[in-house]
Amino acid sequence: MSANPLLMGHPLSSTEHARHALLYMCRIRKFEEAVEDLFGRGMMHGTMHLSIGQEASPTGMCMALTIQDQITSTHRGHGHCIAKGADLTRMIAELLGKEIGYCGGRGGSMHIADVETGNLGANGVVGGGIPIAAGAALASKMMKKGTVAVSFFGDGAMNEGAFHEAANLAAIWKLPMILFCENNKYGMSSSTEKAFAIDNLADRGKGYGIPGVNVNGNDVVEVYEAAQIAVDRAKKGEGPTLIIAETYRWKGHSRSDKNLYRTKEEIEEWRLLDPIPKFIARAIKQKKLTQEQCDGIQQEATDAIVAAVNEAVKAKAADPAGLLDAVFKKVSA
Amino acid sequence: METGELLLFHVKVGDQVKSGDVLFEVMTDKIDMEVEAPADGVIETLVGNPGDVIEIGKPVLIMLTETEVMAFDFGGDAAAQVETAAPTPPPVAPAPVVAAPVVVAPVAPTPPPVAPVVVTPVLVAPVVQPVAPVITPAPIVAAPVVTAPKIVNASVKAVPKARVEAANRGIDLRTVHPTGPDRTITFSDVNSAQIDPAVLKRQAANKALIAKGIEMTRGIAQASFNRRAHANFDHAQLISAWAKVLRGRPDIAVHQHVGVSLIIESKYGSALPVFRDPDLISVEELRTLVTTTSDAAKNGKVPIAMLSGGTTTIFDLTTYSMSSATPLLFPNQVTSLTIGYDSESTKNISLTIDLNICDFYDGALLLDALIASL
Amino acid sequence: MSDRMLTMAEAVREAMSIAFDERPEVFLLGEDVGIYGGAFGVSGDMYHRYGSERVLDTPIAELGIVGAAVGAALSGMRPIVEIQFSDFTAQAMDQIANQAAKIHFMLGGALHVPMVLRTPQGSGTGAAAQHSQNLEPWFASVPGLKVVVPSNPADAKGLLLAAIDDPNPVIFLEHKLLYKIPGRDPVPEGSERIPLGVAKVVREGKDLTIVATGIMVNKSYEVCEKLAAEGISVTLIDPRTISPLDMQPVYESVEKTGRLMVVQEGPAHAGFINEVIAQMAGSSSFGSLIAPIKRLAGMNIPIPYAPQLEKAAVPQIEDIEAAAREIVKNWR
Repeated sequence: MSANPLLMGHPLSSTEHARHALLYMCRIRKFEEAVEDLFGRGMMHGTMHLSIGQEASPTGMCMALTIQDQITSTHRGHGHCIAKGADLTRMIAELLGKEIGYCGGRGGSMHIADVETGNLGANGVVGGGIPIAAGAALASKMMKKGTVAVSFFGDGAMNEGAFHEAANLAAIWKLPMILFCENNKYGMSSSTEKAFAIDNLADRGKGYGIPGVNVNGNDVVEVYEAAQIAVDRAKKGEGPTLIIAETYRWKGHSRSDKNLYRTKEEIEEWRLLDPIPKFIARAIKQKKLTQEQCDGIQQEATDAIVAAVNEAVKAKAADPAGLLDAVFKKVSA
Repeated sequence: METGELLLFHVKVGDQVKSGDVLFEVMTDKIDMEVEAPADGVIETLVGNPGDVIEIGKPVLIMLTETEVMAFDFGGDAAAQVETAAPTPPPVAPAPVVAAPVVVAPVAPTPPPVAPVVVTPVLVAPVVQPVAPVITPAPIVAAPVVTAPKIVNASVKAVPKARVEAANRGIDLRTVHPTGPDRTITFSDVNSAQIDPAVLKRQAANKALIAKGIEMTRGIAQASFNRRAHANFDHAQLISAWAKVLRGRPDIAVHQHVGVSLIIESKYGSALPVFRDPDLISVEELRTLVTTTSDAAKNGKVPIAMLSGGTTTIFDLTTYSMSSATPLLFPNQVTSLTIGYDSESTKNISLTIDLNICDFYDGALLLDALIASL
Repeated sequence: MSDRMLTMAEAVREAMSIAFDERPEVFLLGEDVGIYGGAFGVSGDMYHRYGSERVLDTPIAELGIVGAAVGAALSGMRPIVEIQFSDFTAQAMDQIANQAAKIHFMLGGALHVPMVLRTPQGSGTGAAAQHSQNLEPWFASVPGLKVVVPSNPADAKGLLLAAIDDPNPVIFLEHKLLYKIPGRDPVPEGSERIPLGVAKVVREGKDLTIVATGIMVNKSYEVCEKLAAEGISVTLIDPRTISPLDMQPVYESVEKTGRLMVVQEGPAHAGFINEVIAQMAGSSSFGSLIAPIKRLAGMNIPIPYAPQLEKAAVPQIEDIEAAAREIVKNWR
């Protein structure tokens, strides 16, 4: 078990890059499907927030990041984790409450972090990770690490004070930070139309004196291109960028719901904008991948998830005996 | 959350469905949800019916799909679940996909993967079972309750260290004069308290009685013991004397009056006329009353007024050539006496006491007092 | 041992300066900590000595500031974040209680948050209800936070140095009335640490044990002196760290004195000091008590403004003295 290698660069710059982009989007898709399946079998405790339909956003963003670059993530965070290169088995193991899980069964779906891949952790509190990413960017600047910190959050978080305070700090201190909003249209059941008095969320950037850009969050290429510009700007010391990636979650908010707040037609429209076939078509057209290669990559993703589940299921359950020892890090002598 | 109620199907057998189409709705204690098709396919069987309460992991419908599905190897314990769920798809033929796993998905509560907590049955020990001797010196308050081998006296206010000290020294806190605020016994109150010589005597007596061995009857907290009574006496004398003895111990007699029940056998069965406060009339008067009442009882006639109010009971075994017996105490009675003849034709009095209310030493005192007054 | 008498503000500044010199990753951020020198003058001239990059003035944004400190702590820095009044930590509570406190546990130990949050608390300045609270129980009830309440300059210095070393989030609650007054004891030169989680027996006596926190240690001390002249000798214990809490000296002392009185400035109801009582009540030392445990704490009201009202709201020296006398006199 180890972190997956990251490949930086434009998703259509080479066969290798195209393969990476497709493989990671498929991994996320298959991971989420597997989670849903495990949940249905009663093998998973608690809750889950699936990001099926949103795979292009984390994949495109993370192809502009080094392994040292940091991210903070959200309750809907499996995709960010995978895109940043986390180990699939340890992720599944965490969801199943196993000792080898990323948090040893103490965190579950909403709290997976992976130091090795620069993932400072998913977060159960909407907006909770945004100031933390600003702090990570502050540390990068103070320590001259040359890294960037990306905070993934949803449209709902943009109305939290945490977003405002962190965006302002990052702006005034010109921190190497990217505020990456996956605008999937709904904060649980509240639509952006109801929750915002502006039409374009990227306009908020102006209020902090930082660029605010819109991208098609279902287009991994477009996401990557905007991300790369933001990363370059951050690393040059010019400060943060707000990226609004327009996307959509196919599934309910958590576990599932009755979709009382949206129409079947709307869901159907967005299903047609599936980021995976869209990228496959483009990669084939640009002769970066063949149909056979794409089929193989999808199978490879499925196999990886199946192998991860099979291994995680067999792992040892987390042991309550160590609970008290885990509250504080030991003070080294 | 272990089940969900199937509300309705959105599909019927033979329907073509696409991935994401709503198959059915379930209601759980947490949420109502629509369950979507995990893949494109055809509905083959509807397993449940609307209104059914379905366990997590059990199939709700079966659909056929040509879409590749993920087949996990759960091995071991999880195998059973797999069996009822998704069989591995055959390589070419359409594969049955059981939608069941998805069904209760939104709510499934797996038992948390922590070490099982083994709940071992705990035997609750009867409170008074091993009956340790308890010292209750001439108490002012009625009914000291014997529940623990130490003097607890929670009704008496005392600081913690005073209790510890009192327990260590065998001091009954009720005998200690409180000087603290709110009549609380302070440590120094206990510290300077003299142990009442009577308490010491009682303690020794109890120990001696226990050393002799006390017969425990029927596993409840009562004990019986005997004395030979050389004096000759009739029922009236016995009733009067016993009532006098009990009146001297209101803490044991409990009630406002003393009521002596005398068991009289007749062809109609046992009668239990009660002689109320028999020590407050002369023995002669009482004798007349006992005689007339006994005669009446033998004819099955006891005045209604004499049928209640007993606080103690006397069994006369002399006509049965029995020496003693250990009767069960009547409810709300702390004592009972039996009289019989022993092998040497000497009268024998046996006292049974409720150990929840008094101790061996009390019993010994009562019996000695009775015999002395006969 | 030197005989330097410093105020708590000076001692805290000295500790921060030592930590700045020892570790390049230590920095201070907060509202007006820079050129202004801190609302209570605690950072003083540090801005001039260490520069604007390490003494970082922030906008008025407590949630953002603490969040940035958490993020920086996760990424290799050791931030000291100053919140101008402890009352304002309410603005930052998500980052304190949900993020900083839980990250190490929740993420399975993968990350930790070596952050110190310093903040002045307490009444006595006429600043009224939103600038005068004692919020120990807010923090002490959150697993994952260490909570320090120094009562004097010497302790403040050693404890703060230990707090900065600590790999966990530490909430450091400084009573604002103590900032400007010198302590009883000199503040040692050098960089000696006072370990967190070790209570201090301030003075020993045989008649009564007083456990007090923060400024109440000072008030209680005066009472001890006065009573000593009358032949009543009191053990005074300052827990110093309230999470984790060191009860051992309390047990040992109560086993000798048999009498326990606890004193805090914060409101009595569900206050921190009740934890001392609870632990005593459940301990084997309980049987040593020859008196009911006496609690002196603030009234269950917001801190009022007018001086006579403010004074009435929290225990004063006379209250402590009267209570101490009474417990010793009545319970023997």
